[in-house]
Amino acid sequence: MIRKPLLAACVAGLLAFTAACGSGDGAGNESGETALTYLVFETPSLDAKFWDDSIVAASAQVPGVKINKIVAPSTDRDGYAKQLQQSGQFPDLLQSITPSNFVGAGLLKPYDKTWIDANFLLPSANSLKGEVYIPPTNSQIVPQVYYNKKLFADAGISAAPKNWAEFLDACAKLKAKNINPIELGGADPFAASMPLVGIVSADILGKNKNWLQDRYADKVKFADADVVTAVEKYRTLVEGGYFDKGALGVKYADSITRFTSGKSAMYPMGSWFLGSVPKDTADNFGSFPWPTDSGDVVVPFVGGGSMAISAKAKDTALAEKFGQAWSLNPKNLKTLIETDGAFPMLKGKSLDDYGVTVTQVFKDSYAYVGQDNNKVSAISWATNDDALPPGLNDAFYAAAQALFTKDDVAGEMKKLDDAWKTAAQ
Amino acid sequence: MEDRRAVRKKSGERGLALLAALALVLYLVFLVLPLLLSLRSSFTNENPLKASNDFVGLSNYTEMAGDDQLKASLTFTLILAFGVTIAANALGVGFAILLNRTSLSYRVMRTVAFLPQVLSGVIVAFVWETILTQNGLLNTALIKTGILDEPYPWLGSPNAALFSIGLVVTWVMSGFTTVVYLAALQSIPLELHDMASLDGVRGTQRFRKITWPMLAPGTTISVTISLITVLKLYDIITVLTGGGPANSTQSTALYIVKLAFTSDRVGYASAVAMLLLALSAVVALTVTSALRRREISL
Repeated sequence: MIRKPLLAACVAGLLAFTAACGSGDGAGNESGETALTYLVFETPSLDAKFWDDSIVAASAQVPGVKINKIVAPSTDRDGYAKQLQQSGQFPDLLQSITPSNFVGAGLLKPYDKTWIDANFLLPSANSLKGEVYIPPTNSQIVPQVYYNKKLFADAGISAAPKNWAEFLDACAKLKAKNINPIELGGADPFAASMPLVGIVSADILGKNKNWLQDRYADKVKFADADVVTAVEKYRTLVEGGYFDKGALGVKYADSITRFTSGKSAMYPMGSWFLGSVPKDTADNFGSFPWPTDSGDVVVPFVGGGSMAISAKAKDTALAEKFGQAWSLNPKNLKTLIETDGAFPMLKGKSLDDYGVTVTQVFKDSYAYVGQDNNKVSAISWATNDDALPPGLNDAFYAAAQALFTKDDVAGEMKKLDDAWKTAAQ
Repeated sequence: MEDRRAVRKKSGERGLALLAALALVLYLVFLVLPLLLSLRSSFTNENPLKASNDFVGLSNYTEMAGDDQLKASLTFTLILAFGVTIAANALGVGFAILLNRTSLSYRVMRTVAFLPQVLSGVIVAFVWETILTQNGLLNTALIKTGILDEPYPWLGSPNAALFSIGLVVTWVMSGFTTVVYLAALQSIPLELHDMASLDGVRGTQRFRKITWPMLAPGTTISVTISLITVLKLYDIITVLTGGGPANSTQSTALYIVKLAFTSDRVGYASAVAMLLLALSAVVALTVTSALRRREISL
């Protein structure tokens, strides 16, 4: 007699507790505002204040919106967004995610194309099957090679390498002078992959821009001879001793410090590194594109951007207005340019319009964006149609780490093909 | 008087029933239900980004046979689990013998010994990361003392990373094993030691003939819990190496999370989770029954 009511009371209590936890979905409030959830991520540069200020500024332009910020526990916002989706809490707005991961499931709503065309220099930089899910507010080159002018001079190198042979020659000269030629933050998989991203983007996508689409169509493979030959270049660098022997133990953050403090002469990294160039010694740093055999300039390019809109947002029109207001706010771009090395892509605006103070190496690097050159998708970084299938980025990073210690390029490329096959199923 | 006692007894029973019911509900909701949901998911191609999932029968389980990453993660996890269990228990016995005194300083040292177990795995891993990283405290000390010429990649090569993770996890687990063995040591009747002294049994012989056999119940608990803890290890590895370099330190638990939320293969991840559960159960049952037999034979 006693037990049943007690059990029922416990269950009722637990359900009430669960209901209380799940309430407050923010569908609206007493002031008539519509509450939207906004997934962001924090870094030392893009801190809580940056996000709070940017939300206040954009909200001021969109009457009736109230933004509830959700901070991803790490910079892996794709992974966190998937966890939120799995638990039925997919955010209404999602900053800097990879749309291709979510579009297939119908989770994202595209932006109005007229608005995109009217406001951005490269409107289709992020497009997926003709639709734009993230406004292309900024772009990155991944990787560029940054170099220390003083160390180059110490090794008797008079100019930045223009092709692969000159690059190898520079590495040899630096090593002969006991200067570590190339910095690699190999403990962080994405940073470990930078030389491989450069090699495959320049040598493979540089010759066939549609290579990734061909890979999706199974017309080409990673194990093909041209890819294997290109990736052998990475082994050439490793076997030549052009990286620190313990590079796989160096964290990304430490690799920046090591390079900027003169412990290595070159640093292949995404252009976000420009935000970390010390202002007082900025003139000592230069940049050049990842070198090709012929010396043709190939720019591995990534259209970055702001936020995606959930197709299931409580008010998709309001969410889109907020996304538009945030994306066009020059103040947000100013922070991204100065601290994250972002290359702004708003139409009709020069660097001066953002009120930024940038270094010469930033200006030189940014020049590649405006020049008429061979821009290709940076493999494993592109967020457009050339984005890799889910899980392939990790496999690509793992291959880069494995090839640092293992001379089996063909085997690692086959593993990538196998991983692709599984991911595509 | 009788009535009052009966009422009090009844109300005490009600309280106990309430507590038991609450525990049962929590157990069912947060353990049994997720387990059953995961089991169901393991027979589907569940993907967090798809609205519906299909039943795929045993295909997730058959796929495991050809999954090299899974095999590598299981090998790594088992090596780590057995290595850490042996090392942490050996250290636990040693520390417990050293700290089995009654003075205040020993009581303080016991608290210090238990400290690694109290700290969150994430915090522990961050602390050790500053020690083991390329420019970390360990390399700095070894270079400054002339033992090394250049930094050693403690986390940057597969074997060194396995050793480093083993070291950190052993340090964490040794706090727990020390406390278990201390409790076991203190439960040994003093008379046994007195009689041994009278018989002239001392030192190693006394440890071998009296202390070690009497620690048997503690050994069973300590070894079993150490094994289970390391078999499901996730946090320390995620912070220290993220499973790298090149997935060489990817535990099975870490692999499960990556499968579910990076590769979007929740169904397959659930099947791997079921395998890990079965493996942990088999290992725990085998070890426990072997150690229990040892307890009885002693």
